[in-house]
Amino acid sequence: MENHRIRHSLRAIFSSFLLIVTVAAPCFAGTPTDGIKKTTDRILAIVSDPALKGPENSKKRTALIRQAVDERFDWEAMTQRSLARHWQKRTDAEKKEFIALFGKLLERTYLDKVGSYSGEKVVYVDETVDGKYATVSAKILTHSQTEVGVRYRLKEANGDWGVYDISIEGVSLVNNYRKQFNSIIVRSSYDELVKKLRAKVAEKE
Amino acid sequence: MVSVFERKKFWECCNRLCFFLILGLFCLGIQGNQNISWAAPFDSGQDAESLEVNMAGHELVRTARLDEDASEVKAVGQAPASKNEEASKYSEDSEAWPEDETVEGSLYPDPLEPMNRAFFVFNDAAYFWVFKPVGEGYSYVMPEVLRVSIRNFFTNLSMPIRLVSSLLQGKIKSVGMILVRFMVNSSVGFLGFQDVAKQALGYPIQDEDLGQVMAFYGIGPGFYLNLPFLGASTLRDTVGWVGGLYLNPLDYIIEDWWPNIGARTFYIVNNTSLRIGEYEALKDASLDPYVAMRDAYFQYRRNQIEQ
Repeated sequence: MENHRIRHSLRAIFSSFLLIVTVAAPCFAGTPTDGIKKTTDRILAIVSDPALKGPENSKKRTALIRQAVDERFDWEAMTQRSLARHWQKRTDAEKKEFIALFGKLLERTYLDKVGSYSGEKVVYVDETVDGKYATVSAKILTHSQTEVGVRYRLKEANGDWGVYDISIEGVSLVNNYRKQFNSIIVRSSYDELVKKLRAKVAEKE
Repeated sequence: MVSVFERKKFWECCNRLCFFLILGLFCLGIQGNQNISWAAPFDSGQDAESLEVNMAGHELVRTARLDEDASEVKAVGQAPASKNEEASKYSEDSEAWPEDETVEGSLYPDPLEPMNRAFFVFNDAAYFWVFKPVGEGYSYVMPEVLRVSIRNFFTNLSMPIRLVSSLLQGKIKSVGMILVRFMVNSSVGFLGFQDVAKQALGYPIQDEDLGQVMAFYGIGPGFYLNLPFLGASTLRDTVGWVGGLYLNPLDYIIEDWWPNIGARTFYIVNNTSLRIGEYEALKDASLDPYVAMRDAYFQYRRNQIEQ
């Protein structure tokens, strides 16, 4: 009898604890998945909007997507992690210039991807939050029946979550650029890297 | 007389054993499906969770260090430091990025880089001049549904590679799933043209190969290789690829030299036609496509091996 009561109260405590945890957690800054979902849905809405279709509207469409992407991506955190140990040797002006150039390159690549959108579905699979950092896992289901695993890494800043890395099938964008940047800087110089980056961005404009 | 009888009995026993073994693996496969973390939304298995926690921890350590460094820089900016101090600080930075050594490529060895780069240029040309136009022409003639079915057929056919690789790694759940997938897809899925097991049962393909088996037993990648036509690989994965040739039923079904080459070419063209644009995207987004490809390959393989 006594045993039964103890067990009962334990269960009550445990369940109320669970309730508190589950209710209290999302109050903070919106969940990372919500943030990514919001941006993705917004971009998909722009892409599938019939009023924005056609080549004559491409500028307007690009500007809208760019705005949506800019709000979600933390370009500075991304650049900082991509340049890694070379980041701190840069002056503030150099940093600013690099962030702008790198952001443009990434945006451009992202826009190209979005431009070839043809009814892919995004499924959000998992989310882990650890203090200021979070990971969101998603799956993209393409029309040719392949599943592409995507993992976003986010950092909380000013009450919102900003993306600082995307991994596609385990290939992290930031890691990939870090290897490239490092290779170019080690072989030639930082100036050479900026020159290459500038040429790349110009070729895509 | 007696020996024949005994032999018969022996075979019966063997058959029964095999039946129970396969049945057991089936059950494990069915059970295993429920533990696959990414098959069910927001319902991750324990393995995946612990892996996730480990990775988050790793990332956290790195980012926390970065933030520390950043705040240091700000402090330095407010009170200009002498050159010596700065120099010592830079040498500390390298600690924050242990995987980036000052000498490039020490983590992912690439001693044959000049040769690899030459083959990279060759593959680039082969892709743009041969594979891409052929693939595009082929996809113009063949509707996508058919091409996906053909890919499914070849994937289903190469089941033994995945089966043996999973067995050698002791991944019993995967073994069960591979067997169920093969049975279901070969029968209900019309010889594997339809991936019924994934659509109806939610059994995803188990991506295993001999390279991953070797990695499982602690064999490192050796060094990076970029081979003509085959593309990015490592010494270990090339050995695994050659071993996989012996496990591919295609070579036992079509034994003649020319029909075999023909079937393989068809398979490659079919696959290429479904992947047009991937290489272009990588090339377009990178400042050094060779380094980008090499790093992407190592990251991709590491992800596969961890799974």
